[in-house]
Amino acid sequence: MKKPELLAPAGDLERLKIALLYGADAVYLGSSFNLRANADNFSLEEIKQGVEIAHSLNKKVYITVNIAMHNKEVEKIKDYLIKLDKINVDAIIVSDPAIIEIAKENTNLSIHLSTQASTLNKSAAEFWKNQGVERIVLARECTKEDIKDIKENVDIELEVFIHGAMCASYSGRCVLSNFLTNRDSNRGGCSQICRWDFKLYDKDKLLAGDKPFTFCTKDLSLARYIKDLTDIKVDSLKIEGRMRSIYYIATIVKTYRKIIDEYCNNKENYKYNLEYEEVLRKCANRDSIPQFFDHKFGKDRQYYNGRVEVTNQDFIGLVLKYDEKTKLAKIEQRNHFKINDKVQIFGPNEEFNLNLEEIYDEDMNKIEVVRHPKQIVYIKVPKPVETGWMMKCVDKQ
Amino acid sequence: MSKTVAIIKNENQAKEIIDLIDAYILPLENLSINYHHTFSLKQIEKLTKLNKEIFVCVNKNIHNNELNQLEKNLVELSKLNIKGIIYYDIAVLNIIKKLNLNINLVWAQEHLTTNYKTVNYWYKNGANYAYLSSELTKREIDEIKNNTKAKLFVNIFGYIPMFTSRRNLVDNYINTFNLINQTKQNTIYKEGNSYPINDTNIGTTVYSNYILNAAEEDFSNIDYLVFNSDLIDEQEFKNVLKNYKNKEKNKFPKETGFLYKETIYKVK
Repeated sequence: MKKPELLAPAGDLERLKIALLYGADAVYLGSSFNLRANADNFSLEEIKQGVEIAHSLNKKVYITVNIAMHNKEVEKIKDYLIKLDKINVDAIIVSDPAIIEIAKENTNLSIHLSTQASTLNKSAAEFWKNQGVERIVLARECTKEDIKDIKENVDIELEVFIHGAMCASYSGRCVLSNFLTNRDSNRGGCSQICRWDFKLYDKDKLLAGDKPFTFCTKDLSLARYIKDLTDIKVDSLKIEGRMRSIYYIATIVKTYRKIIDEYCNNKENYKYNLEYEEVLRKCANRDSIPQFFDHKFGKDRQYYNGRVEVTNQDFIGLVLKYDEKTKLAKIEQRNHFKINDKVQIFGPNEEFNLNLEEIYDEDMNKIEVVRHPKQIVYIKVPKPVETGWMMKCVDKQ
Repeated sequence: MSKTVAIIKNENQAKEIIDLIDAYILPLENLSINYHHTFSLKQIEKLTKLNKEIFVCVNKNIHNNELNQLEKNLVELSKLNIKGIIYYDIAVLNIIKKLNLNINLVWAQEHLTTNYKTVNYWYKNGANYAYLSSELTKREIDEIKNNTKAKLFVNIFGYIPMFTSRRNLVDNYINTFNLINQTKQNTIYKEGNSYPINDTNIGTTVYSNYILNAAEEDFSNIDYLVFNSDLIDEQEFKNVLKNYKNKEKNKFPKETGFLYKETIYKVK
């Protein structure tokens, strides 16, 4: 059976490599004219490198060009699209239809329609197909039945968000950021007002619950519905989060890779593994739920915890190198760890637990504690590990 | 010469202001969003007898299971003497084209109607009118006008919707903490500012904390200038239109929104 594409975010080249290493079939990233204006976006040279890396692995790179242009962007966009075409990117993700027109007139770029266009129905999907769009990233408000009906009635590739943060509004229909902070949300300046606390009034009366009013929603996770999405023949399953860490990318991509492969490789005997939900939940440190997919978007889908999320400190080190002779792994520190901590080392297809019995500094002196961010140390690992594998804390002593 | 358009709340109001305006915008029942008052097909038909231009607003995001209802309504509207349909969802345009309905279209994707190239894209695809975003500067509006054949709508008076969600955000909060929302006239408050918020069965809208009041600005090059009566007292609204017609200042403070304030998007 045809496996859906697993599509992961890439905030920079390091995260691009990690996403591909841990099982993504394709990555999406931004440079100019995208909705993460304040992220560490790619230069054109870095996009070129990223495309070469992905293509060497037979994987794909899509570029987000999903702003709602103002006049001054209209004049600049053509040159940028021509450059992307020359770099040989696999598609651009667009919401402003003028960009579709400019791309069609001046390049051979494939066009994916961004979720910013809020495509919720088969009639709109049909329109976009006739405009030469090859793939639609559906609105996040679509239910399972909506997706199925659109897929059955319009011959176009569909991409569905399966994991990550949600807009509280219909995508494109929020300018809270413009009004409250003068930052244009539809050109990449979103200041996430939906996560702010407000006081809610009924006329003059304060309606005060135990926690303040907010627009904030829980995150999305369709882990348990990968089977359904595959059966519907959705073409691409998308993970949100271009600004997330390498640990987040590795963990989420690896988990969904397992789910997709387990179902597609053995459909008859497939059983959803509930443990994956715990892995996903722990990694993001936020509750995640199916949102609109199963029709329920009532009170349980809101997030009233204010902005008091505890930073996840499970990720303690990144494997840079391994020496089979000495069985020493070169590790870059990401969070505090020490002798006798119980850790898990994991790669794309493997994970094992380990007691940290020996730690050495760069001069090969034995040390007890690894305190400093990005500190380079060596640890004894009996089994071979590879560059890009990660170490997380299981039990701190 | 610009035409004066009013977004109205009811039939009486339509009659009250008939000598002060050139056109009405009527939000369609169940298929429009961001308005506190909507009109049924019957009410719209009645108002066509007033012999003013009528634009019907069908600006809701259309969910797949609403397509049949949308199609029926568009067919009915095409039989009425209305000037055009204001749309957000592309399904509106697609259905009108497929059924070959003889009706004008106003591209009105609220915060996305932001440049002349995209206005012209929709013009080529059948939308002869565009309703520009309220987040544009005056200079950008003039540039769009100079680069398109489409007729333009610009908001110059009223509250501006700034957030539209499918979620029932007020109800969710009320239900989570077992509160009583007696009058359902809600606002949210932050740092000295109150923002009206309206939660209905089709979703939640949050409005600006101010009433846009750019009636004194020179928009003589723009085809339709929109006065929105939503959340405004009807008599006061009528006075604003009167003042405008008589080239007088109205009683509301001057508020030009983004007309002279460009938004930024890259902060570093």
